[in-house]
Amino acid sequence: MAQPVADTGRSLTMARAGREAVIAEMRKNPNIFVIGEDVAKLGGVFGTTVGMADEFGAGRVIDTPISETGFIGIATGAAMAGMRPIVEIAFVDFIGVCFNQIFNFAAKTHYMSGGQFKVPLTMMIGYGGGYNDAAQHSQCLIATLAHVPGIRIATPADSYDAKGLMHTCLRDDNLTIWMVHKRIWGLGWLGTALKTAIATVPEEEYAIPFGQARIWREGKDVTLVGYGITVHHALQAADKLAAEGISAEVLDLRTIVPMDRDAIFKSVSKTGRLVVADEDYLNCGVTAEVLAVITERDPRVLKAPAVRVAFPDVPIPFSRPMEDFCLPDPDKLVAAAKKTLGKS
Amino acid sequence: MTDIVVPADLWDTEDEGVLFLWVYPDGSIVEKGKLIAELTVEKAQLELTAPASGRLKIRVAPETIIRKGQVLGTIEPV
Repeated sequence: MAQPVADTGRSLTMARAGREAVIAEMRKNPNIFVIGEDVAKLGGVFGTTVGMADEFGAGRVIDTPISETGFIGIATGAAMAGMRPIVEIAFVDFIGVCFNQIFNFAAKTHYMSGGQFKVPLTMMIGYGGGYNDAAQHSQCLIATLAHVPGIRIATPADSYDAKGLMHTCLRDDNLTIWMVHKRIWGLGWLGTALKTAIATVPEEEYAIPFGQARIWREGKDVTLVGYGITVHHALQAADKLAAEGISAEVLDLRTIVPMDRDAIFKSVSKTGRLVVADEDYLNCGVTAEVLAVITERDPRVLKAPAVRVAFPDVPIPFSRPMEDFCLPDPDKLVAAAKKTLGKS
Repeated sequence: MTDIVVPADLWDTEDEGVLFLWVYPDGSIVEKGKLIAELTVEKAQLELTAPASGRLKIRVAPETIIRKGQVLGTIEPV
């Protein structure tokens, strides 16, 4: 019978793997608490905090009103006072109302206080579309957050990384954001599980360092760079390309800030061709930052112009065919890779 | 041998569900009370725990529609 993974380990969804890390850290450190909308009674819109209120009580798992500015401000102040808060924002689309707290306080207080106050705050955020939730519930907005100094952003692509990167976020003394694409979170109502996102997850704790990209698949003709869901598009594209005799390398950024620029340059130096995939908007996006790595270090490693496959600069349509037309997918990556090879 | 049955009280309605994920592959040794599968019913993600310790024999594949009372697999003594 077909199984999500081949080995005999324990396969967890990303929701469950992230939750395991949060629970492990909360058991060790009484200063960690979770605050957000629907985190206690419901267990999180995406199930990330299920059962935590029962184990840790109402003092450490706190439901809030719809008041993002307020509870992120509370969490930032609590972090400055020595606590280690976790804030859940289910949909990144609504982060705009809390930009002042995030950009001007959580991200900058350590610097502006001359190091007197640390802000060890972790945000858990869902992003991305592909399930017909329209323009205000389908955005990524990762480049928007990545633009501001003082924020570290982890974007795991499978459950192994979801757990390891959550441990790293919770042990970091800075503002960290753990962001999972909704289509790979591991919830049935958001679509069929992507088997490559459900990895075997060790029961013991492990922390994955920030800024270390992961090569999911080695190749020699073209490098496909992605993160989150686009890693899975790239893996499917690499399969299709292999059937046509094209060897694609799949590089997962894993963390957007810090970005593993050495790994990007090393891979592209080897393959000579680059396709970058991102479900976030194209304009001034993560794809441009990846291309800048090559341009700044040595554009001569490229044998052909690089290609970006990102969400076009339009609001995300509700209509399924219109949204599908805009979203990056494996076929678009195949076409982009062939373009770099002068094939169509 | 113990059947792995979808408990009648796992959710309140008579809606069908979907078997979303087996946590362990067919033939794995599992421990009584530990999570072995996830089900999706409407928007809820529900847990199925092992009714006994032993070797997991899977009968129903992921992405299959399931109902309360249905046998999804068995656990055989080791």
